[in-house]
Amino acid sequence: MNRGIVKDITLSLVIILSQLLIFNHMNLSGTANTFIYVSLFILYKTTYDKTYLILFGFLVGLIIDLSLQTYGAHTLASITVCYLREKIEKYSFGVNSILPLAMIRGTRLSNRLTYFFLIIFLHSLIYFSLIFFKFEFTLTIFLYTLINSIINFIVIWIVSKLIFDR
Amino acid sequence: MQSIINSIVKNRNLIIYLFLSFVTFNYLYNNSSVHYSGIGKIGTYISGSTSSISSYISSYFNLRQENNKLIEENLELKKNESQFIDKSDNRDISKNKIDKTIIAKVILNSINKSKNIIVINKGEINGITKEMGVISSKGVVGIIKNITDNYSSIVSLLNTDLKINAILKNSSTIGSISWNGLDPRIVQLNDIPLSSSIKVGDTIVTGGMSFYFPKGIPIGRIEDYNNTSLEGYYSIDVSIFSDFSSLSNLYILQRTDDDEIKFLLNE
Repeated sequence: MNRGIVKDITLSLVIILSQLLIFNHMNLSGTANTFIYVSLFILYKTTYDKTYLILFGFLVGLIIDLSLQTYGAHTLASITVCYLREKIEKYSFGVNSILPLAMIRGTRLSNRLTYFFLIIFLHSLIYFSLIFFKFEFTLTIFLYTLINSIINFIVIWIVSKLIFDR
Repeated sequence: MQSIINSIVKNRNLIIYLFLSFVTFNYLYNNSSVHYSGIGKIGTYISGSTSSISSYISSYFNLRQENNKLIEENLELKKNESQFIDKSDNRDISKNKIDKTIIAKVILNSINKSKNIIVINKGEINGITKEMGVISSKGVVGIIKNITDNYSSIVSLLNTDLKINAILKNSSTIGSISWNGLDPRIVQLNDIPLSSSIKVGDTIVTGGMSFYFPKGIPIGRIEDYNNTSLEGYYSIDVSIFSDFSSLSNLYILQRTDDDEIKFLLNE
């Protein structure tokens, strides 16, 4: 097995475990949750198979759902983000989306910010829509989505820097 | 076959995504009461909307059948109504005077002559005999004149030869309805003495003093009247309830006491 893949799998396990053991128990002022596992879908190399990404998203989402008793909200948000990631890549990086680590280097900062934020925002929006699941809570859904998107964006941006800028 | 496989392979991400979404939704639906009721509501809304659309469309294809059903139902109601009318009369009610009502469709109709005739698609083999009364769902239409095996002609109320016994519903003052041959919406009520109190809008119904109609079948409503006649009778215009220009289904009343009355008259 390729060394790079082993490294990526190990990194994935570390992130999932840190989500399960640390970030699942962190709740800032009752509204903000940190979903660091979304970084896995963001940092998944663009050269890897997209079908595996969807299956990987399903698996990770299911593990988080089982641990948080959220009955599929994380899973659905994850597989949707994974399915749409190709389009978000193309929208954010244009022709540079063929670079394996376009989200880290070789592209403009504004493009990377857009890419990060779109995925995190979409994930949060789907997650909170499923959690509240009523039209009466539309405003609350947007509020939670915005707060969580900002917090997750900061955390995931820092994590990605820590991983790749060592 | 190859193109189908190619298409599946090409869209495998979408297929996998949809499949996994379905699995997840199923998981949500079965485990979370909030989502169970929410998805249940959406399901009810969708099934309700689609059912109403499909029933709206299919109702168009059933219109003829529905129409026939309504006609049958109307016929039953007419029968009941005529029994009720007879009961309101203080005669012997031990036997229903209207024994049978036959339904018929108009196949020929005119309103622009002075002696208008209506032809219907029922005749002798359907049990129709001469001088039976004919009504529509709104009121009196005429009297059967000639019959063949399969068809009958009706002397319309819009025929200057026809006179029908009528009364004012409120006061039971007796008169007779005839047509002057001018306006097909207006007939004339004659023989109402000036001593009677009438007003515009009073309802005119059949008087029941003939072989043709039982008492109380609606004819029309007073449109206008003139009390300046020197003969001592009102000149009353009555707007008829039945729309003769659009007659479609008619009911022929068959009375059981015809023979008895005729026998007495012939004595």
